[in-house]
Amino acid sequence: MEQKKYWNPYLAGIGLGITLLLAFVLVGRGLGSSGAMIRVVSWITSTFSQSHVDANPYFVKYAGSGVNTFQNWLVFEVIGVAVGGFISGLLSGRLKFKTEHGPNITSKIRWIYAFAGGILMGFGARLAYGCASGQALTGGATLALGSWAFMFSLFGGGYLVAYFVRRQWL
Amino acid sequence: MNEIEITSGRMNPHIDPHLTIWGWEIPVYLFIGGLVAGLLFFSALFYIRGNKDKYPTAVKIVPIFTFPLLSLGMFVLFLDLSHKFYVFRFYTAFRIESPMSWGSWTLLVIIPLALAWSLTWVNELWPNFKWPVNWISELIEKLKNYQKQMAWGLLILAIVLGMYTGILLSAFNARPFWNTSILGPLFLISGMSSGAALILLISKSEEEKKLFSRIDMVLIGIELFLIIHLFMGFLASTQVHIDAAMLFLGGEYTTVFWIFVVGLGLILPLFIEIMEAKGLHVSAKLPALLVLIGGLILRFVVVDAGQTSRWLYKFLE
Amino acid sequence: MAPFYKTGYFSEPTSFVIAFLIGIGFGFWLERAGFGNARVLAAQFYFKKMTVLQVMFTAIITAMIGLLIFSLFGWIDLDLVYINPTFIWPQIIGGVILGTGMVVSGFCPGTSIVSCATGRIDAYFYLGGALFGMFLFGEIYPLIEGFHKTGAMGRMTLDNWMNISLGMAGFIVILLAIGMFWGGEWLVKKFGEKETAQ
Repeated sequence: MEQKKYWNPYLAGIGLGITLLLAFVLVGRGLGSSGAMIRVVSWITSTFSQSHVDANPYFVKYAGSGVNTFQNWLVFEVIGVAVGGFISGLLSGRLKFKTEHGPNITSKIRWIYAFAGGILMGFGARLAYGCASGQALTGGATLALGSWAFMFSLFGGGYLVAYFVRRQWL
Repeated sequence: MNEIEITSGRMNPHIDPHLTIWGWEIPVYLFIGGLVAGLLFFSALFYIRGNKDKYPTAVKIVPIFTFPLLSLGMFVLFLDLSHKFYVFRFYTAFRIESPMSWGSWTLLVIIPLALAWSLTWVNELWPNFKWPVNWISELIEKLKNYQKQMAWGLLILAIVLGMYTGILLSAFNARPFWNTSILGPLFLISGMSSGAALILLISKSEEEKKLFSRIDMVLIGIELFLIIHLFMGFLASTQVHIDAAMLFLGGEYTTVFWIFVVGLGLILPLFIEIMEAKGLHVSAKLPALLVLIGGLILRFVVVDAGQTSRWLYKFLE
Repeated sequence: MAPFYKTGYFSEPTSFVIAFLIGIGFGFWLERAGFGNARVLAAQFYFKKMTVLQVMFTAIITAMIGLLIFSLFGWIDLDLVYINPTFIWPQIIGGVILGTGMVVSGFCPGTSIVSCATGRIDAYFYLGGALFGMFLFGEIYPLIEGFHKTGAMGRMTLDNWMNISLGMAGFIVILLAIGMFWGGEWLVKKFGEKETAQ
C-alpha cells in the first residue's frame, strides 16, 4: 500500500501551533503527555499496593487514597492523541505493524534500544516536570524560562550522545 | 407518597447516594438482549430473503451464539434479584401492565426458539457430527421442515426483544432521564448495530463483511440521529427533564458519554468504515470491536444516569 | 474572555471532552509531520532532517504570536494561562537525560503514542520503558526530592528574567527561530545528501 509523503514540516508545525493555541484559548493550558503516563504508572502501582503509593511522596499525589487518578485533562488529551495519530495514519496509509530501524541493526536490537531509551526518558521527563510536548512546546510558547532551558539542554544532550548510537540509525 | 421520608432517612453518601438499586447486572443484561436481538434479526432476515448460502456467517454460524448468550443474560438477571428463590413466580402469571412480565414471557418463548433455530444448522456446519441419542437427530430433522415459520417468528420476536430492552427503562417515567419514548428504538438500533458488528468480527467472507459494514454504517447514522433527538426532546421539556439532559451537557456523565460512547463507539467506527468503503484498507475488526464496546458503555451510562436523575430535590446538596 | 474554561464558560467534564478533541488535533499533526516513525525524529540529531526543529519551533512561534496578539487585543487574560513553573536545575539535567533518551530511542512520549496508534512495535517497547522509568523515578524520589525542587523560580518567563517587554521577548524568539530554520536548512544541505559512511 503506497505511503503518502509526510507534510511539509513548516505547515505541520503551523497546524500543531494552532492546536496548541486553541488549547490555551479554550482551557488556559497547553498540551502534554508524560503527565498522563505517570498517572497510569501510579495507578498500576496502587492496584498492587495502595499503602506503598500512600507512603511514597511522589506517587501519592497521583494515586493516593481518595485521589481520582484519571480525572485529569491530560488523560483524555492523550487518548485523543492516540485517536488523532490513528486517523492521520489511516488517511495516509501509514498503518502497519512493523519496527522502524536503521539498515545496520535488527529489529530486536532496536527494541532493546527503544526500551532503554524509554527508561531514560521516563525518568528525565518526571525530573524536568514534563516532556517535549509539555515543557518544550507548551512552555516554549508561553516563554517560561525553565522550559527554554529544558529545550536547549534536550538538543544539547541529544547531539552529544548521537555519535555514540549512530549504528542504530545510519 | 412518602418519598420525602425515604429521602431524608437514607439519602446520605454512606447508604443511598441516589437510591441506586440497579448495579452492573442490568446494563450487561440489556446489552446481551440487544446483541441477541440483532443477531437473530439478521439471521432470520437473510434466511427469509433466501441468502443463507451467500451469507453463511450471518444465517448459520451466528445463531449458535445466541443460546449461550441468552442463558448468560438470564443468569446475570437472576444475580440481580433480591429474592432469588422466588424467580419462578415470573412465570406463574402474566401481568399485561408490567414490562418485566412482558420481558420474561418474551424471553421464555425466544430461548427455545433460538435453540431450535441454531440446532437446525448444526448438521450443515459440521456434517460429521453425530448426536449421541437418535431421537435428537430425528427431532432436528422434523424441525427443519419448519425453518421458514421459525424465521418469521424470530424476526418479529427479535424486534420485540430489542425494543423491550429500551421500553423496560422508558416505562419508568419517574426517572426523568428515562421518560422518553426514544429509548426503545435507540436500544433496538444499538442492539442491531452490535449484532452487525459481531457478524463483521467473525465473518470470513469478503462479500458478507462488505454488506454488514454498510449495514452498520446506516445503523450508526440512525443511532446518532436518535441520540441528538433524545437530547433535543429533553431540552424542550419540563425543567426536570432539562436537568436530566444537563447531566450529559456539562454534568458528570458528559465525559464518558461523548468521548467513549459517541466519539469512540459511534463516530470513529463510522469514519473508519466510510474510509474502508472508499478503498483505504484497514481491518474490519477494529470498528466492530469499538461498536460493541460502545454499546456496552451506552447501556451502563443510560442505566446509571437514569437513576441519578430525579423529579424532586434536583441536586444532592 | 479567553481562556474560556477559566472564566467559567463551561464545566470540568466538558473541558475533558475538549481535551479529547484537542488531543486528536495534536496526534493528527504529529503523525502528519512524520513523527510516527522513530527514524524521522532521530534523523534530527544527525543533521539528515531538521523535522523536529522545524515543527517544534514553528508550532512554538505560531502559538506564541497567537497568544501575544490575542493579549494585545484584550481577548485573552494571560494571567489565567498556566505557565510551567521554573525549577531551573532539574529541568536542565532532565533535559539532558531526555535528549539522550530521545536519540537512543527515537521517541518522545507524545510521538510514541502516535507511533503506537499506527502500529509500530518499537513504540510499544518504548512505552514500556518510559512507564518503567517513571516508576523508577517515583521509587527513588525520597532520595532526590531535595534536588527536584532546587532552582525554583516560580512563574518566571523570559521577559521577566531578561527584564525586557513581552513583545521584545517574542521578537527575539522569532529571530532565533528564523535563524535556526536557516541554519537547519544549511545543515541538511551539507549533511543530508551524504550516505551512511560518516
